[in-house]
Amino acid sequence: MLEVEGLSAAYGRVQVLWDLSLKVEEGEFVALVGANGAGKTTLLRTISGVMRPSTGTITFLGKRIEAAHANDIVNMGLSHIPESRKLFTEMSIKENLEMGAYPRRSWKERRETMKWVFGLFPRLEERSKQLARTLSGGEQQMLAMGRGLMSKPKMVLIDEPSNGLAPKVVSEVFEILKSLHKEGITILLVEQNVRQTLNIADRAYVLENGRLVLQGVCSFLRESDHVRKAYLGV
Amino acid sequence: MAAVRDIIITGLLLGGIFALVSVGLSLQYGVGRVLNVAHGEFIMIGAFVTFWLFSSINLNPIVSIVITAPLIFVIGWLLHATLFRRLMHNAPNLDVFEGQSMLAAFGLLYVAQNIARIIWGSQTYQVNYMNTTVTGAQIPLNRLVALAVVIVVGVAFYLFLARTRMGKAIRSSAQDPTTAGLMGVDINSVLAICFGLGLAMAGIAGSLISFVYPIQTSMGLQYTVIAMIVVVLGGLGSITGAMIGGVILGIVSQLVTHFQPTWTMIAYYVVFVVLLLARPKGIMGK
Repeated sequence: MLEVEGLSAAYGRVQVLWDLSLKVEEGEFVALVGANGAGKTTLLRTISGVMRPSTGTITFLGKRIEAAHANDIVNMGLSHIPESRKLFTEMSIKENLEMGAYPRRSWKERRETMKWVFGLFPRLEERSKQLARTLSGGEQQMLAMGRGLMSKPKMVLIDEPSNGLAPKVVSEVFEILKSLHKEGITILLVEQNVRQTLNIADRAYVLENGRLVLQGVCSFLRESDHVRKAYLGV
Repeated sequence: MAAVRDIIITGLLLGGIFALVSVGLSLQYGVGRVLNVAHGEFIMIGAFVTFWLFSSINLNPIVSIVITAPLIFVIGWLLHATLFRRLMHNAPNLDVFEGQSMLAAFGLLYVAQNIARIIWGSQTYQVNYMNTTVTGAQIPLNRLVALAVVIVVGVAFYLFLARTRMGKAIRSSAQDPTTAGLMGVDINSVLAICFGLGLAMAGIAGSLISFVYPIQTSMGLQYTVIAMIVVVLGGLGSITGAMIGGVILGIVSQLVTHFQPTWTMIAYYVVFVVLLLARPKGIMGK
């Protein structure tokens, strides 16, 4: 479904990604793990069209998208749920969700989609008229995820949904990711929380200093010496 | 009592006009980061196109809004889609773009003003429209009509921002353009629409001003200055703030004018300084 080949990216003169290649098949739940500053967020921003790669290709559903604009990419069915929520804090919860349904095709169905999203996140429905900034951290993450689903994407890129949340809320978020995967949505999850991530994803890539150093099915990675030492602390 | 009532009505009208103009400037700066010093020139263009339509084909100045507003919207849209978009893409960052776009707007100011001067010269005109008073009142009827139009336009614009798909796209782009892009918003198109809408608001204000106050081709800059005061007063980028700030300044202006007309401009700055001391980020600022 998504294929990245030979991708490099830089902020000005500082190169952040070095010759990355990765692949996500339809229906897969793939994780990208690595330490802070490894380049995970940059990779997602490059895939979703916020940033331009310096070299390399990105193919989504058979179409090249490395030069496409962010708004065209979400129209194609690839939704990016950004790091640190990035909610429209001065708009209500309902309006944030409506913005998620902005592409014309999903705008027409926004009411039905919203019912589905409220089913996944019942707490959002209770507070639908409140401003987004009045929500707690966990609720804000739920809203960010709900908003990212409002365009009825075929695939979602999720950046650090567990960041800054209490352990109980993190587990809730991971449960929701599991159920989205069951509904047939292809997922590329970026996480620093390596232990929990390797428990729910099918496959994972390990990113270090802008380079992919390891990849494989999660059960295999959990047993790898490198992962155990560097990320699981055992 | 009649005097108080007249001050309030005229103050509301002037305040409403200031609010339209300032909301327009706020759309251009708050969303698009263009500090458009040529904003007032489009008030002048709105006023003179209305005057020209009135004097040549006797077109009702209220009706002429249906011509001036779309015309100026298209001019604004084109200006953004060509000039400002290009500057934005070539600028290394937003700070550089702000500086460059302001210089470009200065250029626009001189071009607009001099073309107008070639056509209409520098004398003062006024559209004579409904300038009789209603029985018992001191205020000419045209001011009441203009006030009604200001209210209708203000409410319509508020509903547009609050309820429509494009209105929500504009508000979200003002808060976070990158994330709005991730939602599917075409930022370039939203910025051009905001610029066009902002100028159209100025144009509508111009059409109304043409039959309430005397007009000159050099009238633009004074309104730009007032709009800048109002936008800062209301809180940079806040549309609601610009509306409230405009009305406050309009009423203050009429109160001061009633007692001491030469002090009006001083009063603007006094209100400005006092309000900013009390609320440094403006009325609606955060």
